[in-house]
Amino acid sequence: MANLAVDLKEKSTSKTKINVQVSKAFKIWISALTVAFLIGGYFIVERFITGLAATNLSSITPWGAWIAFYIFFVGLSAGSFLLSTLIYVFGMEEYERVGKAALFTAIVCMIVALTFVLMDLGRPERLLNAIIYWNVTSPLGWEVHFYLVYIALLMVELYIAMREDLVRAAKKNTMQGFVAKLLTFKNSTINAATKKRDHMWMKVLGTVGIPIAIFGVHGGTGTIFALVKARPAWNTALFPIIFVVSAMVSGTALLLAMYVIKKKVQKQEIDKNMVVSLAKLMVGFLIIDLGLQFYEYLTGWYGLEAEHLDTLGTMMASEKAWSFWIVQMFLGAVVPITLVFWKKTSENINALLTAAVLIVIGIIGVRFNIVVPPLVVPVFHELPWGNYAPTIKEWMVSVGVVAMGLLIYSFGELLLPIEETSDEVSHNGK
Amino acid sequence: MGLFSNEKKVDYDKIVDKMVPDAKKEMDESQYDTELGLNMARDARKVISGKLKIEDFHKVYSSSLTKEFGNYYASADGPDIRKGDGPKWAMVIDLKKCVGCDTCTVSCKAENRTPPGISYNVVMESLEGEFPNIKAVNLPRPCMQCDKPACAQVCPTRATYKLENGIVAIDNDRCIGCRYCIVACPYGARSFDFGESYEQEMQGANDVTSPEYGVERGNREKGKTPIGTVRKCSFCFHRLQRGEEPACVETCIGDARFFGDISDPNSVVSKLAASPRAFRLKEELGTHPNVIYLR
Repeated sequence: MANLAVDLKEKSTSKTKINVQVSKAFKIWISALTVAFLIGGYFIVERFITGLAATNLSSITPWGAWIAFYIFFVGLSAGSFLLSTLIYVFGMEEYERVGKAALFTAIVCMIVALTFVLMDLGRPERLLNAIIYWNVTSPLGWEVHFYLVYIALLMVELYIAMREDLVRAAKKNTMQGFVAKLLTFKNSTINAATKKRDHMWMKVLGTVGIPIAIFGVHGGTGTIFALVKARPAWNTALFPIIFVVSAMVSGTALLLAMYVIKKKVQKQEIDKNMVVSLAKLMVGFLIIDLGLQFYEYLTGWYGLEAEHLDTLGTMMASEKAWSFWIVQMFLGAVVPITLVFWKKTSENINALLTAAVLIVIGIIGVRFNIVVPPLVVPVFHELPWGNYAPTIKEWMVSVGVVAMGLLIYSFGELLLPIEETSDEVSHNGK
Repeated sequence: MGLFSNEKKVDYDKIVDKMVPDAKKEMDESQYDTELGLNMARDARKVISGKLKIEDFHKVYSSSLTKEFGNYYASADGPDIRKGDGPKWAMVIDLKKCVGCDTCTVSCKAENRTPPGISYNVVMESLEGEFPNIKAVNLPRPCMQCDKPACAQVCPTRATYKLENGIVAIDNDRCIGCRYCIVACPYGARSFDFGESYEQEMQGANDVTSPEYGVERGNREKGKTPIGTVRKCSFCFHRLQRGEEPACVETCIGDARFFGDISDPNSVVSKLAASPRAFRLKEELGTHPNVIYLR
């Protein structure tokens, strides 16, 4: 404790230096994102003027790309939050370096997910109706409430995780110091008692957050689909569980990829042991996910229900099957598993980074294959079949919304001590 | 007026009066009280025109009716027994009578002014059996107006709900357009209004209004409901309010459709629904539709 002040001095000087070093790459990154956001923004405005006619959606296939992205980002959020609980609740300190980034990623992903929902609503200005006129039998009605509680919980937890760094940063005369001053109270201090208190609250919030994230946020999002009796391919008890497991897959992969990319750009040292271990964890989740999916498809196929078979056929044996076989199965599963387990690549950071990125892309494929094929097949065989592929406008809006999320994340990293390595976990609770 | 024609004005009412049997004479011939019958007929007209409340009507006549008909009147359903629950509408479709002419689809579009891509009422056609032993099956599909509607179950804002008269309604001013109900409906009976219009084919197409659930929503314009929300068959709610049958029932050329109050055991629909030919679509889902088919 005594040499804390000295530590602080060193840290603050080195930090300002780093900021200057990365500023050029950061500027390029921010301007690229701004351009993407402005282009996407044009299409977002156009979408609000023309309504959903800008999409390829129809009354047969009423949900499409935006809903797929929505569940993808909810999954990323739940996954990264659950990873953070491994650190703060279960004390897996080896992943500590990604802890705060995990919490912040979870918040940004929820913002992006809800923005996608907003894009998808026919009457977005009435969004609050889902809260004002809450229908308790509607899984979607429950989800809206869970999302709000979850975002609030994440924000409080992130604040407590950053508190020490904020108090330290408040003394600095930088942009980050200014924000820290706004966020901390005047008499905020760091001592043994506050450390213990903060740690206790991290554990409590993380523990409360686990059921909220599993049953409420992402299992609940799976429930939105699983409770639809009219679509046999969704109407299985395994469905919400697959949602949670694939959330863990994508969340872990995203954090791994972000950590490695960030360190590479900033030319900092990469914690290789952590990367290898995280990659193993990620592939472990992926294999469980694949196993559950196997049983899911097998049960549907064996059941011989016409609509279920049609859905599986649409997913695996139609002209749209490439997204299942190539994106979901080959790029999203076979290649990453090989990269992580093959001796030549299992210790190679670049190979593991590739595996993580491929898994994230693969999960996008999973989300599209969840939403679209069951909605292409009509509820009666005689009704017209859907034919959905996102329009350019839908893609551009998606680019805009994702760019918005990345901008929020980048500015957050700039202004908040997300990267700061406090000795929060290792010092406390012992 | 009438300067260049010596045509006499015809009193049409008098012609009708000649056709109608004289009420007094008819009542005199019957075994019942003439005075009471005529008075009741006069006041019944007042009830229909809204000048008299049905409760008051019953108050005025209940004692004299008990005197006249005795126990038979007393045991009949009075107004109090059915207070609060009006009719519960149901439709019976006889598949043996349906010829697959799609008149219901067309008349529904004309009646409800549905935009391009939206049909509340379609006829699903399929061939059954193997050649040469095949038969064509036409299955008309309006909204089933389920007793336990999956759409109302999943609606996050309670914008879709079940009316007392059995109709599943949408509050277009509350609907946020999430389309969860479309996904959840096992009958594909719901559509999203993307705002398309017949304006290019037809001048003034947007000037006609659609009477959704008896609410006139004015001209079809961007940003006005029901554009951007969900739409569905309402059993022609606005026609029911006028005492008419739904358009598809009225125009069915094969008389394949029957419409009425299923809570009345003597109605045609109740009797047909009890027939061994009767079945409902996807009964296994437990939605209990109020559209009943005769196979």
